[in-house]
Amino acid sequence: MATPVIQDRVQAKKEVRRIKNLPTVPGIVAKISRMVENPETSAAEVGRLIAQDQVLSAKVLRMANSAFFGMSRKISSISQALVILGFDVVKGLVLTSSVFDMIQKSMAGLWEHSIGCAAAAGAVATVLGRDDAEEILVAGLLHDLGKVVLALNLPDEMAVVRKKIASGPILFYEAENELLDFDHCDLGEWLAEHWNLPESLAEPMRLHHRPEKAVLRPERVAIVHIADIIIRAKGFGNAGDLLVPPISMAAWEALKLRKTDFLPILEILEPKLASLCDLTSIH
Amino acid sequence: MKRVALDKVAPGQILAEKLTRHDGVLLANQGTEVTEGLLRMLSRQNIDTVMIEEADGRSPEEVLGDYQRFLDELEGRFVRAKNQSVLLALKKTMIFLAEKERDETLALLSPPEPDPNLHPVDSPKV
Repeated sequence: MATPVIQDRVQAKKEVRRIKNLPTVPGIVAKISRMVENPETSAAEVGRLIAQDQVLSAKVLRMANSAFFGMSRKISSISQALVILGFDVVKGLVLTSSVFDMIQKSMAGLWEHSIGCAAAAGAVATVLGRDDAEEILVAGLLHDLGKVVLALNLPDEMAVVRKKIASGPILFYEAENELLDFDHCDLGEWLAEHWNLPESLAEPMRLHHRPEKAVLRPERVAIVHIADIIIRAKGFGNAGDLLVPPISMAAWEALKLRKTDFLPILEILEPKLASLCDLTSIH
Repeated sequence: MKRVALDKVAPGQILAEKLTRHDGVLLANQGTEVTEGLLRMLSRQNIDTVMIEEADGRSPEEVLGDYQRFLDELEGRFVRAKNQSVLLALKKTMIFLAEKERDETLALLSPPEPDPNLHPVDSPKV
């Protein structure tokens, strides 16, 4: 192999910081964050800021009106989306819309896996009767951003992982940890630091395979963990391997889910997945 | 099933989803047969599109073949999840739903039983 594969965690973390073409967090997301921190800011002001970028607002509205949120009335403006979905969700949608091209370019099937995981997370949250389904859904959308860094910025490392996965029934993160001593969860964490993402999004990126370690919002991380399992079981999209990973029983028990809950979860999810197919190209 | 614009939906078709108003009030259950009245009501509630059950053009053999392929692929995806009862419950639920879909599709394919009340046999009335 021409370039030696990076195996050392410390070196890998340095590498992520050094990556020149790592997209900076879209300026607009940073601006919204600053505006939202100011208690005097109104939804209309944030709406005007996002609406300045027409392509971006079109993408955000398309996601806001998709089967994700199951709105029966059309959301026709960003300020309306802010009122109905809230600042955090719209911020997450702005971020997702900005990294959409990156996710699509990185790995075939990863975008589908991401929206599928988001829809599954929303379904689990609904069955649990939670009122933060939208926030959890956005965490599901972005949980695998670390894989995007691996695919786009560390192609040699990605190649050895892929080769390992092709050799037998091995999970993506197992292959990463065996060969590299870091995985996409670490990469996601470093990216979130670099982008200054809120911990509510960073935590599921870092811990969706180890949800029992979550501290800030353990239940949201647990839901993303279980949503990842459900969408892999469905075979919707491609997360790099085609296997159902082991479930964290601690996460399962913390949510007080029962085996019989799978039926209503899947019944909510099925029609959403059928409708989400048109989100596979939000241009 | 497929998503159809409300103005393209015809009476007699079957809803493939539960429809609720924005505030959660139930408008129509999954499995409801569409009527003119229902279409008018949904239009008043600003519903633009609905999911409709469809006979998808597959032959019964193809439906059974697809079901078998689903089972084989599912087995492959669950190869690492053999010892966890929660995951086995997920798999069982998926098989239950696939069986239901298979049987409903097969039922849509076979011609319905003639209803003697709706289609009286041409026989002279006494």
